[in-house]
Amino acid sequence: MKTGLFSYFMLVLAIIFLIGPFVIIFSASFSQSQTLSFPPVGFTLFWFQKVVSMPMFINAFKISIQIAILASFFALLLGIPVAYALARFSFFGKRVVELATTFPVIVPQMVAGLALLRIFVLMGVFSINTTLLIGHTIIILPFAVRMIHSSILNLPVSVEEAAVSLGASRIKAFFLVVLPNISVGLISAFILTFITSFNNVPISLFLTGPGVSTLPIVMLTYMEYYFDPSIAALATILIVITLGVVFTMQKLLGVSKII
Amino acid sequence: MLLVLPTISFVVVFFLIPLLMVFGQSVYHPPGGWTLWPYFSFFQDRVAREAYFRSIYIAFWTTLFAIFISYPASSAIVSIKNRSLKTFVMTLTVLPLMTNPVARTFAWLAILGRHGLINKLFIWLGVYKEPVRLLYTEGAVFVGLLQLFMPLMILSLVSALENIPEDLFLAARSLGANGFKTFIKVKLPLSKEGLIIGGTLVFTGSITAYVTPAILGGSKVLMLSTLLYQKASVVLDWNMATVIAVIMFLTTLFINGLLRRVGGIRKA
Repeated sequence: MKTGLFSYFMLVLAIIFLIGPFVIIFSASFSQSQTLSFPPVGFTLFWFQKVVSMPMFINAFKISIQIAILASFFALLLGIPVAYALARFSFFGKRVVELATTFPVIVPQMVAGLALLRIFVLMGVFSINTTLLIGHTIIILPFAVRMIHSSILNLPVSVEEAAVSLGASRIKAFFLVVLPNISVGLISAFILTFITSFNNVPISLFLTGPGVSTLPIVMLTYMEYYFDPSIAALATILIVITLGVVFTMQKLLGVSKII
Repeated sequence: MLLVLPTISFVVVFFLIPLLMVFGQSVYHPPGGWTLWPYFSFFQDRVAREAYFRSIYIAFWTTLFAIFISYPASSAIVSIKNRSLKTFVMTLTVLPLMTNPVARTFAWLAILGRHGLINKLFIWLGVYKEPVRLLYTEGAVFVGLLQLFMPLMILSLVSALENIPEDLFLAARSLGANGFKTFIKVKLPLSKEGLIIGGTLVFTGSITAYVTPAILGGSKVLMLSTLLYQKASVVLDWNMATVIAVIMFLTTLFINGLLRRVGGIRKA
């Protein structure tokens, strides 16, 4: 079908609408004015210096990184066997397993956060840190399973069968043949789950408290009281990191596989 | 079976059971037994009822506008012949999805604020004399949500439109259909699944989003999510918070099922 000028106009409009705000944050983070403003006034790196020297942000950043790494690690650990079973075997209850691993996507994350808070934290079963980690792991598990599943499906079964017919046990074939061959899929699954966990607000919202807070939550709280460009500076830092990750990932496997 | 057992037990113990327990607590009160009273009282409360319908209303408009902008935009993306340009455009649309939602929403403060871009522009143009309040309005929440979720719509539409062979349009045209008819009879039905999936993602996303209504709407434009947070963390009314959570969950399930039925999609 011929694509009219109108379509291209809408595409340009959509991109301006999607990317414009980033340009504004970026320029506002160098502004000399005390409150967030656009167009920016003058040029300063003050807000960047301020942000990277505030213990509040540094601690939250560390916690966010820790949670994201641990949760991604556990999600992969839990996700690999399920993805493998789903890709290679047909078994009784396969549909249930598929449902159980996609279920966390369907439940609104705030709802899950509230449930975990009430059942685990308020009843004193787990500490808030542990519950936060559990929550993040659950939320990113479906992404991990889906990405690993598709990379196992892309690996021909014959490769594995060749290893088994040459005398390797199924377990040995898995560790020596399957795992190395899906390493790109595993790395990108890790990156995706890491980003998802790192940026998450709704599940963390109820599972953070004094001393245990992730970066997005601390940013949100800070914004309630201050209206200065330091959040813009922090946002700029995070966006630059994300840009780096997105381009690395694109080099690894192409944009179509990111989502 | 042994392979899936640890993961399934993890999901059941740490997710399914807490959810069921909390849901149970909302309808079971030891002395009186089972009751649906909390749910009635939710809809009797004017503030809660307004927040509920406001959430649905804003989510509806967000979805509609997302379709209106994304459909032509996705058609344009699909028709780009240059591969590296196409990848670049796709990256630009995916980028917002990968960035921190707090950072993303923050930008709108600089655009919609009292001394923000739009107010400055309008005063400079002479439309207004004084800055007008744009933040903490339903419009602000709508714009924020649209920017947040439009990439999901574009992604699902692009993947739907890419699977339609170009020949079909040529065939329709050669059989005498005009451009409009080709669109209605060929392109639209074939991209229906993309529309439904995108619509589900945008609609449910908008109903459950917290950050955007919290920053751009505040307590002036309460939505279901911000009301839930208020009840749980400010007022510490756990029962009400749970009731809101259940209503939120059931609403998203219902919308999911409804849209799938409309689109005739059977597979999950």
